Amino acid sequence: MKRTKDDRNKNDNDEVVRFGTRDRIEHLLVMLIFFALALTGLPQKFHDAAISKTVVNILGGIAQVRYFHRLAGVLFSLMTLVHLVSILAAVIAGRSTLAMVPGAKDFRDVVTTLRYYLRISDVRAQFDRFDYKEKFEYWGILFGGLIMITTGFALLFPIEATRFLPGQIIPAAKVAHGNEGLMAFLVVIVWHIYNVVFAPEVFPGSKTIFTGKIPRERMRHEHPLEYARMFPEEADEVLGNHAAEPARKQADADAPKPADASARKHADADARKKDG
Amino acid sequence: MNGMVSMYARSTKPTFALAFLTFALSLLVSTVVRGAAADEIEDCLTCHGNDSLSVTLDSGEEAPLFMKRELLEGSVHKNLRCTDCHTGLEQVPHPERHYKNLAQFRSSFGEACKNCHFENYTKTLDSVHYGLQARGDVFAPTCVKCHGSHDIARPAQPRSRISQTCATCHRPISEAYAKSVHGRALFIEQNKDVPICTDCHRSHDIADPKSRAWLMNTPSLCGKCHADSKLMGKYGLSTAVVSTYLSDFHGTTAAFGAKGRKTTNEPVVALCVDCHGIHDIGKVTGDSAPAFRANLVKTCQKCHKGASDNFPAAWLSHYEPSLTRAPLVFMVRLFYKLIIPFIVGGLLLQILLHLWRTVVNR
Repeated sequence: MKRTKDDRNKNDNDEVVRFGTRDRIEHLLVMLIFFALALTGLPQKFHDAAISKTVVNILGGIAQVRYFHRLAGVLFSLMTLVHLVSILAAVIAGRSTLAMVPGAKDFRDVVTTLRYYLRISDVRAQFDRFDYKEKFEYWGILFGGLIMITTGFALLFPIEATRFLPGQIIPAAKVAHGNEGLMAFLVVIVWHIYNVVFAPEVFPGSKTIFTGKIPRERMRHEHPLEYARMFPEEADEVLGNHAAEPARKQADADAPKPADASARKHADADARKKDG
Repeated sequence: MNGMVSMYARSTKPTFALAFLTFALSLLVSTVVRGAAADEIEDCLTCHGNDSLSVTLDSGEEAPLFMKRELLEGSVHKNLRCTDCHTGLEQVPHPERHYKNLAQFRSSFGEACKNCHFENYTKTLDSVHYGLQARGDVFAPTCVKCHGSHDIARPAQPRSRISQTCATCHRPISEAYAKSVHGRALFIEQNKDVPICTDCHRSHDIADPKSRAWLMNTPSLCGKCHADSKLMGKYGLSTAVVSTYLSDFHGTTAAFGAKGRKTTNEPVVALCVDCHGIHDIGKVTGDSAPAFRANLVKTCQKCHKGASDNFPAAWLSHYEPSLTRAPLVFMVRLFYKLIIPFIVGGLLLQILLHLWRTVVNR
């Protein structure tokens, strides 16, 4: 998930470039491979379920399903390898911004966000290029992927794996592979799909990872720190607005509630104008 | 008339044939009236009770026509008439019949059983034995080859009788079975729980045990008894053997009905019998356990060429992972049992909170 200088270029007034071609292709491939792995893997984990039998039959039997699964697994491993090597090269060459590396701010952001959700505070965390949710998913899929690759290859080559290691690692790898896969699947369908499809901010779905472009409005709102760096002339406005927000909210709360819906709508529109 | 010669016409003892005819004529009346079964048997034995009564067939083979009275007396069919099975022979002298050889002669009433035992007869039509018959194999078993004819008795009294019946043809397999944990219990202890041949192979609709479909079904076959907790409890055996097999790689493959490579009919996965043996199934607990264990790597190597001594431990020997049996597997399983609900639950909670806050903001 490296980014290039081009990302910072202004596209037009409505959209900002967020992802380069390489990031987009990488995501598309991971998406397809992940789907293939889940489709051919979950029926093996839940082999008793009737739906699993149906899926396996449709795909041409268990031998065929395993063949697809292994093929997709090898592709996933290769992608991970290419990804890691290119990251490493970028870091060594000093081209990486290390934007994905989690820091103390991310943990503070989690606390800030939870306090905001729970209405303990009206302060919203201001995110940089990647917010903590994105970092969680990235590192989740990377570490989870490494577990899947290691255990997957142990299961694919059990004779070689047990040449020097105890036999018990095979059933342990099987338990880890199935459960890690299930967890990844659940995290993706619950968390990732919510965040990029069903969350009110993006509904009916963000196209950013496919087009590479994000509406300027969303960029300003979701990644204000990066936005301020991209458009220094708007920095004060963007960051200042957010800094001023709690005070405004507090003022809103103190003020008598608008009596009718149209008044409330009016107030919201005002707030949005200020946000924008 | 070549090859279609009347057995009566070819009787080797003309003097006897003459006597037979005289007798037969005198008995005609009582036969036609059809008295009680016992009466008819007596009538028939008038001639067929003679131990020298026989006929030479076209092939030169001698077909004995003697009927030993004692055989009938031990039969479950002793209250039937002779002509209930030997249909069309009510009249004396009997109408002429033509048989090429002894095999054809013997099978002449082979279909008689179906008149009463129609259900079992139709089952045999699907059997591997009938397949042999249909291909013209004269040694193929018919009803009477297994059940006997005049001395027909209850086939499973005692139970071991069935396994002995099969042994008539399947000698080496029967000997292997007799030495197995099942066979020893049957023959030595007269155990009523162990499977006899027909419990696995069925009795009338015996399928080809070398077919893929049959082989792939063997785990559920073994499971019939080995998943029965009441039955296994009697012998201190675990019923987890089936569930642990099915949840492992081999069992899952078998349950999905793995197909072999397209050119072969062989399954690609280890079934119960591949490790435990087929007819020579031995004990794997108690005193036999060390030997079985020592041999395990060789068993694995049958499929997993080049497997090291570490390899057999990759199979948990039908045990559920526990802190003592397979601590690593147990810990990994426990870890995920805790982490999955924690992570997914935490994320769901965040989603709900986010939605709630969004609604509140409006």
